[in-house]
Amino acid sequence: MTEPTVTPTPPDHSAQRHRASSLAQSLRQALNKALIGQSAVIDDVLTALLAGGHVLIEGAPGLGKTLLVRALARCFEGSFARIQFTPDLMPSDITGHAIYDLATEQFKLRKGPAFTHLLLADEINRAPAKTQAALLEVMQERQITLEGRALPVPQPFMVLATQNPIEQEGTYPLPEAELDRFMFKLYIDYPGEEDERALVRQVTRSTRSDMLDVTPLRPLLQAKEIMAIQKIAADLPVDDQVLDYAVRLARSTRNWPGIMLGAGPRASIALLRGARARALLRGGEFVLPDDVKLCALPVLRHRIRLSAELEIDGVTVDQVLRQIIDQSPAPRL
Amino acid sequence: MRLTESQAVIRPRSPWEALDLGVRLAREHLRVLMISWALLTLPVLALLTAALWNYPSVVILVFWWLKPLFERLPLHILSRALFGETITVRQALTVYPQFLKVQLLSSLLWRRFTPKRSFLLPVQQLEGLSGATRQARVRILTQENTQAASWLTIVGAHIEMALYVGLLGLIYLFIPSQIVEQLDWLKLIDVEAHGLLWIEHLTNLLYALVLLVWEPVYVACGFSLYLNRRTALEAWDIELVFRRLRQRLMGAVHLLVLVGVVGMLLLPPPALAEEITAPAMCPLPPQEVAGPDAPHLLNQPLNSQVARQHMSAILASPPFKNEHTQLQWHVGQQGKDKKSSAESQGMHWRDLEVLLAHAARFLEVLLWTLLVLGTGLLIWRYRVWLKLFTRRTTAKPTSPIDTPHQLFGLEVAPNSLPDDIPGEAERLWHQEPRKALGLLYRGLLSHLLHDFHLPLKEAHTEGEILELSKSMPRADIVDYLHNVTMQWQRLAYGHQMPTQETLKALCHQWRILFNSQVPA
Repeated sequence: MTEPTVTPTPPDHSAQRHRASSLAQSLRQALNKALIGQSAVIDDVLTALLAGGHVLIEGAPGLGKTLLVRALARCFEGSFARIQFTPDLMPSDITGHAIYDLATEQFKLRKGPAFTHLLLADEINRAPAKTQAALLEVMQERQITLEGRALPVPQPFMVLATQNPIEQEGTYPLPEAELDRFMFKLYIDYPGEEDERALVRQVTRSTRSDMLDVTPLRPLLQAKEIMAIQKIAADLPVDDQVLDYAVRLARSTRNWPGIMLGAGPRASIALLRGARARALLRGGEFVLPDDVKLCALPVLRHRIRLSAELEIDGVTVDQVLRQIIDQSPAPRL
Repeated sequence: MRLTESQAVIRPRSPWEALDLGVRLAREHLRVLMISWALLTLPVLALLTAALWNYPSVVILVFWWLKPLFERLPLHILSRALFGETITVRQALTVYPQFLKVQLLSSLLWRRFTPKRSFLLPVQQLEGLSGATRQARVRILTQENTQAASWLTIVGAHIEMALYVGLLGLIYLFIPSQIVEQLDWLKLIDVEAHGLLWIEHLTNLLYALVLLVWEPVYVACGFSLYLNRRTALEAWDIELVFRRLRQRLMGAVHLLVLVGVVGMLLLPPPALAEEITAPAMCPLPPQEVAGPDAPHLLNQPLNSQVARQHMSAILASPPFKNEHTQLQWHVGQQGKDKKSSAESQGMHWRDLEVLLAHAARFLEVLLWTLLVLGTGLLIWRYRVWLKLFTRRTTAKPTSPIDTPHQLFGLEVAPNSLPDDIPGEAERLWHQEPRKALGLLYRGLLSHLLHDFHLPLKEAHTEGEILELSKSMPRADIVDYLHNVTMQWQRLAYGHQMPTQETLKALCHQWRILFNSQVPA
């Protein structure tokens, strides 16, 4: 049992936090207006944004994966690039390359679409592994090496990748190293009946024929503000017990029966960062075990691999993870 | 066949020694054997080649098939030569047609492939047996030495191949290297198409030459095996010893007979009176009861009855009869009577069988036990796995039956809590405020668990407990839980101390909520 050092929080910190969380909540409200019936996914995406992580979104076609990203890009005044991954996409199509300029007789660097704030990698599993690997450096180190020069990408930088779970023909599953760099893997599910009704009503009213309009959204945040919120989130106090809980959750996947490959230390890190961001989004001033618990599923589901027996039995990763979370004792004090 | 004239020493030999003798025999008469074989087989090969020029493979097959017929000639020569009768090539070839007809079909059809061919050839050729008598004879002969005969054929086939390939190699070595370089080896695959049939015929000839060397040895070895078997069966060696004995003693017998006859002639003739008077002077006694039961014998001091008793007594004592008692343990044989000494040998075996059966039973029990234990051990070893599989099939209990005694490391069993929780919390506040608030939260959880039967688990966080409690009918308690949880979370995770007034208010509320309705 750790004895907490009771220190009164400075008022300016508290005010900053309050402002940051109200900004984040207004962002959430705006997104909820744009994408109807997916509040859980919006929360998770915002959590990842505040925690400075990347997100892999998986879902059936037509559930608004791309819309969500476009709405997010619109809400904060930053650059947005979209790459449609295809089997013949080359790594230099993402990172950029040097071209010879005839007029100046010099090589000029032509930066790829990855030099942006928000990068939407649509259908990321349609490109072969070498192209997927082009994202490795930029996702981890926030920089792109072109012609031997490391060029930083603008901050904040976030990759939102989507993939389609139904079609397996002609797709390349993401390698473990790539998957591990995504902070969250989110499943986007069909909206509820009430939400769908609202959605249909709204879409048919808009000028675009078959999708929700994001034009009414106005920019709420500057890129600098996002950076500030990220910093505030990273500074949220975390009790040792909560940290211990996050680590315990990640570690328990390593020796759980039925899991062939457990989550690495990046999972513990992502759990804690996610919990901090979620606490801020909740408007809390400190991190609760609940924040960790809510992040556990999206953080862990792409980092473990089930054993063949369970896969044959049709057990899903989420079922096993729920079992783990259900059997890991909450923090002891 | 006169054994005394055998060129080889006749004695029982081991099969391998007999084979050695066969090689020696063939070497002794190599000249005759080889010339006769060559004169017999090479014309046949020439004839076959001429008749079937376009089918060299058929030529060699037919030639190979006729081997048993050719083998009759060396056997004839060897059988004569063994007993000292040297035979010329011409003589051998003139009598050969006589053997040729004997059992021609069986030799070429169903007996062609028996590996004991050379061993059994003398039975039909030298003994002239056929049909059932031959069968019986063969059955007796093949009781021993058959392995050696089979091996002889197998090794012979290998020697033939080795010599054949060796000869081919030798010829190849003699081809000048310039020609070898120009040779188109692919042509050899299909000699017919390239008009190279003569090469095949040449190889056929090589095979015939190989047989020229090996076949006499083969036949001689088979023959010597046959001789060896008969030596053992008919005791030829002993017969020979007797014959030599007779030869040596015959002169002495003649002398004895001569002496006897002369002696008879020299004896005086008997007197005439003796012949006539003898019956009258001593008449024969009257016929009486003869034998040991005659009264005059029974009346003697030692009559025959007593003598018989004496005799049986003597016969019943050593050295005629040796009795000794032997004690033995028998497994499971108590009820059985003593067996005679002849059967006791058999009983040993039966005991052994019984012993083995018991051992087998014991082993069976042991193995079953091991199997059961092993299965148990496996189940125990992989119990977590099995639990994982059974968990999904069985329906989950809707609510945990046994409530946990600890939540978040806090004792929540009612007897582990003080009677007056708010009083105790207020008392603790000044020394350990964290403990004081912890006690309040703990007490509240204990109430939820035991009084309201809320299904709380160790994995539940404070927030989840708050969510769960919303289903309770008591809204005031839910509100109170909310307050306490907030304060508790702030203290535990946010490290923010509540004011004393807050604690006092919480304690006051506690008293209102529980002391009046639920006895703490």
